[in-house]
Amino acid sequence: MKSRSKVIMLIVASVILVVWSVLTIIPMYWMLIGSVQDTKSAASFIPKMIPDVLSVAPYERFFGKTNVMRWLFNSLLISTILTVTNVFLASLAGYAFAKLKFPGNKAVFWVLLSTMMIPAQVTLIPLYILMIDVFDLGNTYTAILLPGIVSVGNIFLMKQYMSSLPTSLIHAARIDACGEFGIFWKVILPMAKPGLAVLAIFTFVASWNDFFWPFLVTNSAEMRTIQVGLASFVYADTTDFGALMAGATVAALPMMILFFSLQRYFLQGITIGAVKG
Amino acid sequence: MARVEFRNIRKEFVDDNKGTFTAVAGSDFVIHDKEFVVFVGPSGCGKTTSLRMIAGLERQTSGDILIGDRVVNNLHPKDRDIAMVFQDYALYPHMTIRENLSFGLKNLKKPKEYIEQKVSQAASILGLESMIDRKPRELSGGQRQRVAVGRAIVRDPQVFLFDEPLSNLDAKLRVQMRVELSELHKRLEATIVYVTHDQVEAMTLGERIVVMNNGIIQQIASPTELYANPQNMFVAGFIGSPPMNFIDVHKEGNVLRMEGGEFVIPDSMAAALSKYENEHLILGMRPEHITGEDIPVISSLDYTYSTKVQVVEHLGSENLVYFRVGNRTVTAKVHPETTGYPGMEKTFIFNFDKVHFFDPETEQRIDW
Repeated sequence: MKSRSKVIMLIVASVILVVWSVLTIIPMYWMLIGSVQDTKSAASFIPKMIPDVLSVAPYERFFGKTNVMRWLFNSLLISTILTVTNVFLASLAGYAFAKLKFPGNKAVFWVLLSTMMIPAQVTLIPLYILMIDVFDLGNTYTAILLPGIVSVGNIFLMKQYMSSLPTSLIHAARIDACGEFGIFWKVILPMAKPGLAVLAIFTFVASWNDFFWPFLVTNSAEMRTIQVGLASFVYADTTDFGALMAGATVAALPMMILFFSLQRYFLQGITIGAVKG
Repeated sequence: MARVEFRNIRKEFVDDNKGTFTAVAGSDFVIHDKEFVVFVGPSGCGKTTSLRMIAGLERQTSGDILIGDRVVNNLHPKDRDIAMVFQDYALYPHMTIRENLSFGLKNLKKPKEYIEQKVSQAASILGLESMIDRKPRELSGGQRQRVAVGRAIVRDPQVFLFDEPLSNLDAKLRVQMRVELSELHKRLEATIVYVTHDQVEAMTLGERIVVMNNGIIQQIASPTELYANPQNMFVAGFIGSPPMNFIDVHKEGNVLRMEGGEFVIPDSMAAALSKYENEHLILGMRPEHITGEDIPVISSLDYTYSTKVQVVEHLGSENLVYFRVGNRTVTAKVHPETTGYPGMEKTFIFNFDKVHFFDPETEQRIDW
């Protein structure tokens, strides 16, 4: 009886997983085949899963757009800078909250954590006014970068990760005449590599895919990121679906490469902080 | 090397939820130059906190700590000229053994040649030459422990601090490392402060032992003195394996009455216990001073006591026989060929030459 119920459970689980996988893969497949069809076929409501004719014309139209390479460069630059700042600052703050004794440690951490409960939409307008009106940073890299230099979510992630590192190593380093920043740099960071890798991937993907904030604070074609740039294929009365799909495919490529080459860290990252040790 | 002194050291931990916890309640002692001193006691007795205060990893609530002639209260760990070996080794996992050994000296900006000489010297003393370029994860527990000791040696510190360094090793390796540490102490002529909860480790390694309980020092003495003359019931029960037996007795003149028997004690002993006339007191006797009837009575202070055997443990070199006196279980260490089995009626010999008496309220030893 027990083995029969196990088999039934296995079948149910498999069916759910297969349906889930198909639902996940179909949009990506749609995007991919849409990028190699003519605009009419790409825009059809029920897409042809196996296209009649393959065409590279959508890619030609996409790359024919003046600023595409600039948008890709902007995305790469912004994502890289935000990844570096987030990894460095979140690990510093996470280490301090996890391992250093200072007055108000817990209180400051809880205040920071509570800000995660405020929806991003609530802070969007004040942040916009601050960047554009107060600091006069409209249409600059600084405006895109500044709010994302370090996120509370990343600090939380690193705090959880740092908590799992043995404190005795910090004490040993302190006795070994290592300064406080030296302990962080020479002892903690090398040990935290898996956590840092996960943080870097998360941040890079999130920055690369960010649409709304760069869209809000930039207004010239040169300052757009690739995600904002894609929107320019939507015209007043029509949409170039083929080129849009081609652009989406190109924009998704770095993420796919990054994900599949580092998926081991991704999966590890999901369990960070769940198990001590 | 240098002496270490605790002057009325007190350490309190304040927890928002649990309130104030006193880890060390006014310790006063001196560890002499080149001495091997062991802090021993059960979990939470304050031994590790005391060690960490010497290291500078914890700040005492009040009192002064001296290393050599310097008061080190406000000194950072790196400025105290100490080295510490941790319970979990605390080796830097991303560094090779060579890098682990040289890390402290590099931070102290010592010349390269000096560092190399010190590292190879330590590696040679501890037999680490063949694994010097390996990472800690490639080493066994015993080898990692040696590296941790090596990291301390290269520093040439005034004081070595060991925080339960053998507790992660298996029993056989622990014995081997114990011998090595003893030899190392003789070789380096170092001042060593060693923390352990294992009284066998304390007895075998320490020149003097500091027995602690609930943050209070119970007794400071040499291993033999602690064993022979424990100051109170805690020390008597903690030092020695199996621990000292405690039996409730009632004094009536020259007679000590206990459940199932009585002992007629000599006048001198009765006089020393006169304060407890017609009162209860605790008799303490080590298991090896209670023997089987197979051993002939040879002293006028040998008394016999017959009872039923509860359990017999065969250890090879000796047998441990357990029986009950009142509500206490008593252990006798008997000859391995002594016959005995659970339920058997057996006569034991109590050797009163080595008997101790304790006040039932204060638990302090009564001299006789």
